[in-house]
Amino acid sequence: MRLAAPSITRQNLFCALLLGLLLLCAPFPRIQLILHAMLVLALAPRAGAPLPTVLWALAAGWALEGSLRLYPHLGGTAWADMSVALLAGWMAGRWPLEGLKGWLARLAAFCVLQTLLVHGAVRLATVSHPWGWSWLLVLATLPLWGWLAWRMLHAGAGRR
Amino acid sequence: MAFRAARWSWSRAGLQRLAVALLWLGHGVWVFLGPHPSRHWAALTGSVSRPAQGLAAHWADWRANRRDAGRTLAQVRAENAQLSAELAQLKVQAAQNAPRLAEADEAVRLLALKKQIPLDLTSARVIFATRPATFGGLILDRGLDAGLVPDQGVIVPEGIVGRLWSVGGTQSKVLPADAPNASVAVMLMRSRATGVLQGLGSGRALIRYVSNQEVVQVGEAVLTSGLDRVFSRGLLVGYVAEVTQGDLELRVVVNLAAPLDRVSHVLLLPPQPPLEVQPPFIEPDQKPQPRKRGTP
Repeated sequence: MRLAAPSITRQNLFCALLLGLLLLCAPFPRIQLILHAMLVLALAPRAGAPLPTVLWALAAGWALEGSLRLYPHLGGTAWADMSVALLAGWMAGRWPLEGLKGWLARLAAFCVLQTLLVHGAVRLATVSHPWGWSWLLVLATLPLWGWLAWRMLHAGAGRR
Repeated sequence: MAFRAARWSWSRAGLQRLAVALLWLGHGVWVFLGPHPSRHWAALTGSVSRPAQGLAAHWADWRANRRDAGRTLAQVRAENAQLSAELAQLKVQAAQNAPRLAEADEAVRLLALKKQIPLDLTSARVIFATRPATFGGLILDRGLDAGLVPDQGVIVPEGIVGRLWSVGGTQSKVLPADAPNASVAVMLMRSRATGVLQGLGSGRALIRYVSNQEVVQVGEAVLTSGLDRVFSRGLLVGYVAEVTQGDLELRVVVNLAAPLDRVSHVLLLPPQPPLEVQPPFIEPDQKPQPRKRGTP
């Protein structure tokens, strides 16, 4: 049984809300990373609408890098976000979700993929840099923000 | 069959896909180029030109090594020439200093001899030698100015040389012990037999008046006996070279110990020296006191 896709208005609304939080949480980089992952992996991807997906991912990536101001050449995170979000949207259309567990497992896989891709892109754009342990924090808090995103997108939505 | 011309146009989905593709590719290019786009070109050209750079580096190293080797060889040659010049100069200096060194050695030996004989010895230098001539002798640089008188004994560390024959104002002449008209009172070291030494020339002499009953061995040392009052007793004269039986006496030929042809410095004994001289390093014998009767 497939889940009904969330309304595009609600999805865009939550994306804008999370983008604002992402910008406001600039003094707290770890929280910012969690919000960034939530926005890129959970809220932005939408099957059949690659342009909004790409734009939200792009905005999330630029907002994160712009607020961190760590790299001499920005853009790597935005490109990685865009790629992962496109893949997530395509997978959402190809293999629709059927429950929270599958959603969380897919999010975990995307989380690892996004970490690798972000670091690779930043490495390609700038120089080698320390990875840190924030990715582990994002992965550890995945059940929380994954469940929250699930509730935000699919609360009250019936099955199709 | 009728063909209907298809009208090409952008659909909404196509435009979206185009925008997504442009965004994705644009960002990819942006990320790939990085902050210094020329670095990729520089890396590419660097990779391509690395073999040529390696060859050029090897070539430059080879030239530098060859230049250094040439410079080193030139330096070594210059140093070698300088050392050769210094060596030649040192050899010349050594040759110039050799006589002085020999004189210094002779002076040291004379000084040691002078310390061993507790007499007032006078040193003199041989300034000329007429020994190859008949009745030749040695000419010393001292004479009446140094208080010399005829018949003073002349010695060197190896042994006796002779006696003063004539004394001038500033020079004097030595009659060597091997001269035919020279005579020295001698004794043999083992047999203690005494005799008179008469010169035979060429550093040899003959001991006269040694009885046939005496036992004389070849190689035995011959010392002065002091009976002529020219030399004190015990000075080395030479060594027995050959012994033959004569009608009345032994014919004892002696090789003189002093190298008469190579003497450069001599010591002169005082006139009429004492018969016995005691070296200073020998303690005089303490004669035991006779015990008085009644004392322990």
